[in-house]
Amino acid sequence: MAAGKLYTGQELREMFNYSTRWLEKSAPAINALNVFPVPDGDTGINMLLTMRSAIEESYHSPDRSAVDVARALAQGALMGARGNSGVILSQIIGGLAFALEGEQFGGGNFAGGLVQGSDRAYRALSSPVEGTILTVVREAAMAAKEALTEGDDLTFVLEAAVSAARDTVASTPSLLPQLQEAGVVDAGGQGLYTILEGFLLYIRGEIERMELIAPRMIAPDTPLSLRLEDKPYGYDTVFIIRGEGLSLDKIRKRLQSKGNCLIIAGDEKVVKVHIHTLKPGKVLEYALSQGTLHQIEIENMDDQAQDFLRVAQGKPPSSKIGIACVVSGEGLTRVFRSLGVGFIIPGGQTMNPKVGDLVEAVDALPQEEVIILPNNQNVILTAGQVKELTSKRVMVVPTRTIIQGIAALLSMSYEDNLETNVQEMEEAIGRVVTIELTRAVRSTTVDGMKIGKGKVMAIVDDKIVASEEDHAGALHKALSTLDVSDEGVITVYYGGKVQRDKAEGIEREVRGWYPETQVELVYGGQPHYDYIISVE
Amino acid sequence: MVKVITDSVSDITPDLAEKWGITVVPLHIHFGTETFLDRVDLQTEEFYHRLEKSKSLPTTSTVTSKEMAALFDGLSEDTDEILGIYLGTKLSATYEMALKAKEEVKNKRCRIEVVDSRAAIAKQGLLVLEAAKLAQEGKGLSEIEPYIRESIPRVHLRGSFDTLEYLRKGGRIGRAQSLIGSILKVNPIVTIEDDGVVGPCGRERNRARAIEYLYNFVLGFKNIKALAVEYGTHHDEAEALTERLSAVFPREDIILSVTSPVVGTYTGPSILAVSVWDEPPGMVR
Repeated sequence: MAAGKLYTGQELREMFNYSTRWLEKSAPAINALNVFPVPDGDTGINMLLTMRSAIEESYHSPDRSAVDVARALAQGALMGARGNSGVILSQIIGGLAFALEGEQFGGGNFAGGLVQGSDRAYRALSSPVEGTILTVVREAAMAAKEALTEGDDLTFVLEAAVSAARDTVASTPSLLPQLQEAGVVDAGGQGLYTILEGFLLYIRGEIERMELIAPRMIAPDTPLSLRLEDKPYGYDTVFIIRGEGLSLDKIRKRLQSKGNCLIIAGDEKVVKVHIHTLKPGKVLEYALSQGTLHQIEIENMDDQAQDFLRVAQGKPPSSKIGIACVVSGEGLTRVFRSLGVGFIIPGGQTMNPKVGDLVEAVDALPQEEVIILPNNQNVILTAGQVKELTSKRVMVVPTRTIIQGIAALLSMSYEDNLETNVQEMEEAIGRVVTIELTRAVRSTTVDGMKIGKGKVMAIVDDKIVASEEDHAGALHKALSTLDVSDEGVITVYYGGKVQRDKAEGIEREVRGWYPETQVELVYGGQPHYDYIISVE
Repeated sequence: MVKVITDSVSDITPDLAEKWGITVVPLHIHFGTETFLDRVDLQTEEFYHRLEKSKSLPTTSTVTSKEMAALFDGLSEDTDEILGIYLGTKLSATYEMALKAKEEVKNKRCRIEVVDSRAAIAKQGLLVLEAAKLAQEGKGLSEIEPYIRESIPRVHLRGSFDTLEYLRKGGRIGRAQSLIGSILKVNPIVTIEDDGVVGPCGRERNRARAIEYLYNFVLGFKNIKALAVEYGTHHDEAEALTERLSAVFPREDIILSVTSPVVGTYTGPSILAVSVWDEPPGMVR
């Protein structure tokens, strides 16, 4: 294995410099992303200012060796760190400084530095949260370390780190519900990715390209849906304590109960504090007892939240038409969400939502045109009332079952207008058959058919067609009344009380009956019905 | 005669390039530390073979303005009018490089126009091909260039996929992001919108229906001027679709081609796409 190229302190400085300019281009876009821990919309700027402070300090430092430049960068980052993400970034840069030694550095130092930085970042936080910049730095560090086993070239190590960072940023919404609800990736994670990518582009010598294009914003790997929360956020409070023999642990312990998102970093002479608190006065009072205070910044996060909402609401949604629907069952809720539904009102069979709930959902969507899918016979009428109570254009597609709701959603065209979509959805409802399987709770006679207590009934589009001993038997009979084509799709959604292996048994039976047809088994988690089956 | 130049993402195959005298600039593709020239020293079949075995996704890069300027200078020895039609700026920096290269050429006597196609693959390719045909007919740059520019919105692209993961990981997903993440198995249909960003069209439940969508999409046009079918690895499906489409457009005029490795980096093997140039009668050209 050939040893990778080594880089000087001057090149380290330039690498940071170019990366900062790279970050600068996307700082406004990163600001607009921020929803965690609070929608304070300044993550991009905070990270940028932290980087700038790092570079400034490194230019003041007369030393030229890689390790000296790195130490100056770390010192500058810590002193100038702003916001949550800025402080975490300063810890990562601190880790890099720790791992560099001597005149030059290479891939090995960089990977070690990332690992060290990741550890420090986790330690700086009182309660680390996954799905944030922390997860991104950890995954990037691990990938960089693993790359070392194949080569210690800095380009190669950076490529591995950037690629892992990109994938991790994309997956942050699935780790952190706040992000998923807002349909964005973590802002700090995106910032870190951009910085690492800036490093890589510089090391690859692609400076011309950096000037011409802008960094890419990473798309979340789950679809969007917007939900807004209103509770007071308090004050974003950041300051530095200078003193002698300061104890990070002691300060952390005392401030922990005074707010959240607490970050404490530094050493026994300088401590950087970041906290979200309703009472900044109390925090500062305690800090004064420890030493002198510097660079105090207090911002009202409720103002920032308002700014964020304006940005979020002004952002063009991915589709011109919003969709609100009524669904029960956690699995089914996930299915609807994954097909781009903007707002889900829990309910259905025995829990019919009020008109007010539906109006609220319609108004919360960012779009001016909304389609409502009631997904239940008893909700259709209620849904019809909504258009009188909102200024938005609302149309109802009268889906009587969950299955019809899914079929309607699948036929959604992102290019057509409201009327055409409603028409296509209505046609799609006609092309799908709903089969529901449930056990009879008492003996009865329906449509001339005697049903014994405990028997499995199969209901095909509202009509009971079979009553059998078990689920497979009832389903087989129900399916045999239909024309199932080879190009068709049979989807089996199993309920909250059905075990996975039982459901898999049913899936196998269906595959056996229709070997040419696409069969899918999905967890629906619905109440009442053990199985709901769609035949397209 | 006007010389037409484009990049390899246009999916102009070497045969077509030779037939119509088109210069195709290969973009670069990187597997780890190995670098290849798109469709020059890496062909599509070999690419998907490598993609399958590779632990991390390959990356791509464009040519520098210096390289592009050298190509312009080379062409200007035979012509004094060059038309460059490039991959859309929302997808790549190739156009910007060409724009810079225009300023860097040594031969200032040659007139060079560069067009941002706001497109890729055959949507871009059909525009390039038409430009080359017009050049062979003897049309001048001042006639061809505006016609190509105004024709961009009349070329319509639809692509079907088994997964949009490659597009997402490659950072080119654009607004089609809303099609990602479905729990049910779906075949998303995407387009490149008029502003050059990838956008969503809809979802189909399986490949057979996705192909049906593409077929019906083409049938919706009454004045087809040019038509292309492209694929990643599903040659037979593309061939069958082309046969069916010969009912509405002469089979020998339908361009059936495999996408280039650089394109494959962003689409993955499952892509099947149609590009239709719709030109209502009475369109001045």
